[in-house]
Amino acid sequence: MIGPVIKPVIGNVISSPVFMKRISVAFAALMLLAAVLAVAASVGETAIPVGTVINTIANHLWDAGHPVDAIDAGIVWNYRLSRAIVAASCGAALAVSGAVLQALLRNSLADPYLLGISAGASTGAVSIVILGLGAGMLSLSLGAFIGAVAAFAFVTLLALQAGRGTGAIILAGIAGSQMFNALTSFIVTKSASAEQARGIMFWLLGNLSGVRWPDVWLALPVAIVGLVVCLWHARALDAFTFGRESAASLGVPVRRVYAVLIAAAAMMTAVMVSIVGSIGFVGLVIPHAARFFVGTRHGLVLPLSALIGALFLVCADVISRVIVPGQVLPIGVITALVGAPAFALILCHGRILR
Amino acid sequence: MIELNKRVLAVGVFAAGLASFAQYASATEYPLTLENCGRTLTFDQAPNRVVSLGQSSTELLYLLGLADRVVGTAVWLGSVQEQFRDVNATIPRLADNDPSFESVVGQKPDLIATQFQWHIGPNGKVGTIDQFAELSIPVYTAPADCMGKDNTTGGDGTRIDAFSMDQIYQGIDDLSKIFDVEERGAELIADFKAREKAAREKVAAVNGKGISALFWFSSAEIDVDPFVAGQKGAPAYVMSILGVDNVIDSDDEWPTVGWETIARTNPDIIAIGKMDRRRFPADDWELKMQFLKSDPVTSQMSAVKSGNIVVMDAQSMNPTMRTIEGIETLAKAIEAFEATQ
Repeated sequence: MIGPVIKPVIGNVISSPVFMKRISVAFAALMLLAAVLAVAASVGETAIPVGTVINTIANHLWDAGHPVDAIDAGIVWNYRLSRAIVAASCGAALAVSGAVLQALLRNSLADPYLLGISAGASTGAVSIVILGLGAGMLSLSLGAFIGAVAAFAFVTLLALQAGRGTGAIILAGIAGSQMFNALTSFIVTKSASAEQARGIMFWLLGNLSGVRWPDVWLALPVAIVGLVVCLWHARALDAFTFGRESAASLGVPVRRVYAVLIAAAAMMTAVMVSIVGSIGFVGLVIPHAARFFVGTRHGLVLPLSALIGALFLVCADVISRVIVPGQVLPIGVITALVGAPAFALILCHGRILR
Repeated sequence: MIELNKRVLAVGVFAAGLASFAQYASATEYPLTLENCGRTLTFDQAPNRVVSLGQSSTELLYLLGLADRVVGTAVWLGSVQEQFRDVNATIPRLADNDPSFESVVGQKPDLIATQFQWHIGPNGKVGTIDQFAELSIPVYTAPADCMGKDNTTGGDGTRIDAFSMDQIYQGIDDLSKIFDVEERGAELIADFKAREKAAREKVAAVNGKGISALFWFSSAEIDVDPFVAGQKGAPAYVMSILGVDNVIDSDDEWPTVGWETIARTNPDIIAIGKMDRRRFPADDWELKMQFLKSDPVTSQMSAVKSGNIVVMDAQSMNPTMRTIEGIETLAKAIEAFEATQ
């Protein structure tokens, strides 16, 4: 049902000057993203000259054959660049998930972790690290992913049992999150030694230090596919802003769209959380920021959320690496430190506007 | 097996010999008063029933020939030293990790030896010192966990002064006095000091100077920022005594440092921890070795390229008696390093 709504629009739009303008805006956005990624590749724990960074990237992209120190080259290409791309994918995916959930649930406080995903991921992670589940065979990431999916399944079942309406999902999410958080606390306080607790803390607060190219090949496609799926339903999301009944009367297949979008948001979030841990505030704050710039139309809100989310998380990661010399702070601390005041600002500003 | 029995027999005979010898040597005069971790302990006689929390504390008691006085052990990080396997099998193990308060008290000990204040201390997980004092059970804490260390900061505590083997020697001296086996304690300390000296001479013989090293304990996941040895823990002592430069500047005992920073410091020797624990995949030393050789950055480090990676027992990387083995292992690695130069 969505297809027929959009297709004629696409046909009319391709030749129009509006379309050309959009293409150039999108191109500019991608250039900006590339520039920020390049900055992220040249800034880090240790100082590497910009020339070395440019030469390394040239060597890899165009086989330029510049002589560079093998360790420096490895750091730039294998550590920093892969890390920056994963940070960007993660920021984009979390922001888009947040925007989608806020629209679907008609609740401006909704964020991707509302569905119990981060709570479930934490439980999965501590089960591996502290209870020793899987005896060293299961990696922490896999445990987190399983936990996240389990928690999401639990919340979904609970919501289905609780009945219709957005309220049911929010309440089920809160119940699920509380339950899995309690389980995590139970495991940590029952059996964690100081060292174990520290080993898991790094993860609970978000950590990008172990990210390499294989993670890119997971995070990047998930973020792109997720964004495309959500964009495909942008018009439906606009309709949802006026409530389920209104959306239904506009010809949106409410149940199917609901299921597809929530599942997409949940999967994106679960994958990102399992790679980098629970990074807070991105999914909550960025969609609001995007709406400030372009209003409420999801055809614009979603791509802009993705862009701001990507830029924000790459910058937050750079800050987390340089703010304390010789030490890397958990990125979740940075996003919350920046995110909390930003969110407060949005709240105040919103009240003034009203 | 025969070899093992012989060794156990030898230890036993040695201990028995010492016990008779000690009567003529400096016997402890009871009541004995000694300072331990800011408290004064008084003993009217040598304790007969001791519960030991912490592998190093337990093994030290065995080494002093006091296995027959040990009525319970807990907090095991790895398997017991080979020479004590048989005797250890006869002693109740209260828990692999933290025992409960009641299981400790249930052994009716007249002394508790604890390696870490994390377990028994001002905020002990098993119990506080006051709780045990109410039951008239004195607690002896290994000096290595309180000398120059602030344990009120939570978790593992924070080392203010660098660790040194003197803290271990203090522990041996104290326990040998408490149990009236001073002669044996003095022997042990002399033996340890001789081993330290021998290791130093070994390094001097190959003119091992200006060498740098990294000690990698484990990592929460194989490719995330690893736990490496800082400037205040046992590895720092191991390195300093052999004139080796620790590439990690941090004052923490086990800071997490990014591979980027580590790779650029490019240490001459990398020591990787070997342990029985399998909580993280990186607890396995073979996985650590594999990572160093396959990661695009670490594989370019000179220590990895030239094969100067040494596998070291994790117990030697912590402030225990076995720190001495760490000194010997590193000395050997320095010999090997100089040979490749």
